[in-house]
Amino acid sequence: MVTRRDLGKIGLAAGFAGTFTRPAWAESAADIAVKAAQQYRGQTITIVWEAGLQSLDPLNFSGPKWKELTGIDVKVVEVPVAEMFTKIMQDFRSGAGAYDALNVIPAWMPDLVNAGALEQLDAMVDKFTYRDELQKIAATYRDNQMMVNGKIYGFPDDGDVFVMYYRTDVLGDPALQAAYKAKFGTDLPVPPTTWKDFDQVGQFITEFTNGKTFGAAFFRESGYGNFMFQERFRNEGGKFFDGETMKATINSDAGVKVLTDWLAENKWAPPGVEQWGFVENLAAFLQGQTAMTVSWPPYGRWAASYGTDQEVMSWVPKSTIAGKVGYAMPPGGHPELAAGFCLGVSSASKNKEAAYLFIQWLNSEAISLERVKLPYALRDPFRDSHFTDPGYAALWPEAKDYLAALQAGANNGLLDLSLLQTDKYEEVLRQSVSKLWAGEDPKAILDAAAGEWDAITEKIGVDKQKAVYADWASKSGAYPKM
Amino acid sequence: MPTGRRSRVPIQKCSFGYHHRPARQPGQDFASYSSGLITVAAATALRANPDRNFRYWLLTPAIFLLLLVGLFPLFYSLIVSFMRIDMMDTDTSFAGLYNYAHLFSDKRLWAALGHTLLITVIALPIELILGLAMAYLFLEKMPGRQIFISLLILPTIISPIVAGATWRLLFDNRYGPINQMLGWFAGHPVTALWTLNPQLVYPAIIFCEIWQWTPFMFLILLAALSNVDKSQAEAAAIDGAGFLRTFRRIVLPAIWPVMAIAILIRGLDLARIFDIIWALTAGGPGTMTETISVYTYSQGFKQFETSYTAAIAFLVIVILTVVVVWAIRRMGLAK
Repeated sequence: MVTRRDLGKIGLAAGFAGTFTRPAWAESAADIAVKAAQQYRGQTITIVWEAGLQSLDPLNFSGPKWKELTGIDVKVVEVPVAEMFTKIMQDFRSGAGAYDALNVIPAWMPDLVNAGALEQLDAMVDKFTYRDELQKIAATYRDNQMMVNGKIYGFPDDGDVFVMYYRTDVLGDPALQAAYKAKFGTDLPVPPTTWKDFDQVGQFITEFTNGKTFGAAFFRESGYGNFMFQERFRNEGGKFFDGETMKATINSDAGVKVLTDWLAENKWAPPGVEQWGFVENLAAFLQGQTAMTVSWPPYGRWAASYGTDQEVMSWVPKSTIAGKVGYAMPPGGHPELAAGFCLGVSSASKNKEAAYLFIQWLNSEAISLERVKLPYALRDPFRDSHFTDPGYAALWPEAKDYLAALQAGANNGLLDLSLLQTDKYEEVLRQSVSKLWAGEDPKAILDAAAGEWDAITEKIGVDKQKAVYADWASKSGAYPKM
Repeated sequence: MPTGRRSRVPIQKCSFGYHHRPARQPGQDFASYSSGLITVAAATALRANPDRNFRYWLLTPAIFLLLLVGLFPLFYSLIVSFMRIDMMDTDTSFAGLYNYAHLFSDKRLWAALGHTLLITVIALPIELILGLAMAYLFLEKMPGRQIFISLLILPTIISPIVAGATWRLLFDNRYGPINQMLGWFAGHPVTALWTLNPQLVYPAIIFCEIWQWTPFMFLILLAALSNVDKSQAEAAAIDGAGFLRTFRRIVLPAIWPVMAIAILIRGLDLARIFDIIWALTAGGPGTMTETISVYTYSQGFKQFETSYTAAIAFLVIVILTVVVVWAIRRMGLAK
C-alpha cells in the first residue's frame, strides 16, 4: 500500500529527477525538431521560397544541412514574390498538395487563413515544445505577424523594416554644416528626425554640392511607393479607415501632404527618381551619388561591403561608402515593417508534420541566427538574440550600430495594412503613386483611391472587413502612439 | 475492291464507289425497300464494316481531345461567368447576370477597351504602310537582298515579352541608351521618362509594337507583291498611268486578299496586345495604358475575380466576333 509518506518520497524523487534531467527537457527547439524528424527519414518536403537571392538559403545552407541531420530532402520551389500568393492559393484550391511548407508575407495571412490554405500550428507548437523559443522573437513580429484570430499560423522569419541610411562624411562635413547654419540659423540635424528637417537638409545638400551629391533618393516606383506611402501617411497622423463606418480616409490632409511633399522632394532628388526601385536606389547610394535614403536592411550590409565579394552578389555595385554610413530611424520614428516573411505549413500538404518540423528548425534560435548572418541571403534579424549577438556585431566595424537601428525599428515599426483581400487595396495605392508621377493632382488621386477602397470594402462586406480591420488596428504596430 | 469479311449482301459499284446494297425484291414497294436500305446501311456502318468503324475509333481520341481542350473550357467559362467564384471566397453560388451587369458600370473596363482601340487604330495603319513600303523596296533584285530580308524579320521571332523587357531597358532613364543618344543631339542630359510620362508612354508602346510587327506585314506583302503580274503594271505605265493610279487600279486589287488577311491577323493581335505593355508599363502610369488583355489578366490573376473575368472574356469574344465577321464581309474575304 502506498502511504502518504511514500507519495511524498515519490514527489521528492520526481522533483530531483526533474532538476537533474532538466537539460534534456531544455533541449533546443532545433534539436527537438531534428530528433522528431528522424521518423520521416527518406521523405521529401517541398517548400515555396522567393526566387533569387532569398532561396539561396534553403538551396545552399538550410536544405542541405537539414538533409544531413534528418535524411529528409528539401525541394525548393522558387517563385517570384508577385506570384507567390497566387501559386499558394492555386495549389490549395486545386487540392494538389504540391507544397508542404510555405513562405508567406504576413499581410496575406488573413486571406490565406480565411480561405483555409494555412495549417493552424498551435497543436504542433505544443507537441514539439516550441512556445518558449517563439516568445524570444522580437515583440513586434511575434505579436503582430504570427497569429490570426488568436491562433498561430506562421512563424515570423524575416525582420524586414525600413531604415534610414545617411552618409556620415557628407552630413558631418564642417563646411556644409557651417553653410547650413548660416542659411537656416540652426545646426544641421545629424540625422534629421522629421520629414521637414529631412527635406530641408536634402535640398540643401543638393544645392550646396551643385548636384554632385544629391541630398537623398527614394523608392518611387509604384510597387515600393505603396510601402513608402503607408509608412509616411501614418507618421503624418493618417488613418486608413474610419473605424466606425469603414469609409476610407486616405484622402485626408495627411495623405495629400505626403503626396505633395513627394512631388517637392523629386525636384532636388536625382532626375528620373520617379522610376527608381530597389536596384536604382541602391546603386546611387553605394556609388556615393546620394547622401540619404530609406530602405530595407540589406542596404546597410552591402554599403559596408559585407558579403558582396561572393559571386552571387556580383550584381551589387561595389560600395564606395564603406565606413561612412550611419543608421537611424526614418523621419517620424516609426518605420514600415515592409513585407517580411513568415514560415507556415500548407493545409493541403500530405507531410504536415515533417514540414512543420523543418520550419521549426529553420525558425529556431540557433539556426535562425546562422541564417540571418548568411552574406548572400536576405533574411534580416528578427529575434532579440539576433540584435545582441556578438558574432553579428563583429561582422563589420559599424555592425553594432546597424543592429541597434534594426532593433529600434522592430520596437517602433508599423505593420503593413492587412485585411481581407489586402492586395486589392494595395493595388489602388500602387496605381495612385503611378498617377502622381503622371502629373495628376494629389487630392484628386486620393479622392479616387478612397472611392475605390470603399467599393472594395462594400464588395467584401463592410461588417466583415470592419471586424478584420478592428483586429488589425488593435495591434501594437498598426498606428504610431502619438 | 474492298471486301467486307462479314458482309451478307452483294457488293455493288456506284458512282461514289463500292457499297453493300440488297437487291430490290420483285413486288416490294419503294418505301419499304428504301427503309430497309437505310436499316441495312446503318447496320453496315455499325457492324458490318469494321474498317470504317476502325477509322472512326481512331478519330475519337482526337475529337475528344479537341472537345476537352476547346469546347469544354469555353462552356465551363460560360457557366463560371454566371457564378460568384473568386479565389478568395468560398461562396460559389449562382449570381445570375450580376457579372454581366457589372461590365456596363465598370469604367476601367471600357477605358481598357478604349486604350486597346487607340493602339490598334494607330499602330495597324503604320505597320501596314511601312510594311508595304519595305515590300516595294525589296521587290526589286538587289545585292544582299535575302540577307537583308532575313535580318529585317528578326524582331518577329523574338518573344514579345522579351522584346518588351528589352525596350524597357533601352528606355530606362538611368541606364538606357535612348535618353543618352537623345542627350548627344540635345547637347545636355535628357531624362525623358518614357514609361511614366503620359505624353511619352503611348509613343513608346506604339514604337515597340511597330518595330516588332512591321516585318510581319512586310514579309506577307512582299510575297503578295511578288505574285502580281508585272506585265499589267508595265502596260499601265506605257499608257501613262502614274504610280498611285497603277497601285490603286492594278496592284491593290491583286494583293488585296493577302493584305486583308494580314490586316485581320494583325488587327486581332493588336486587340489582344499584352506582352509588350506588361513588360514596358504594366498598364501604367495608373491605368493609362491598360489594354483589355492587361485588365483581364489583372482581374483574373491578380484580383482573383474568376467569374467576373469569365464575363469579361465573353464580352471580348462577342466584340471580336462582331468585328471579325463585319471585317470579313467588308473585305470580301468570304468570297
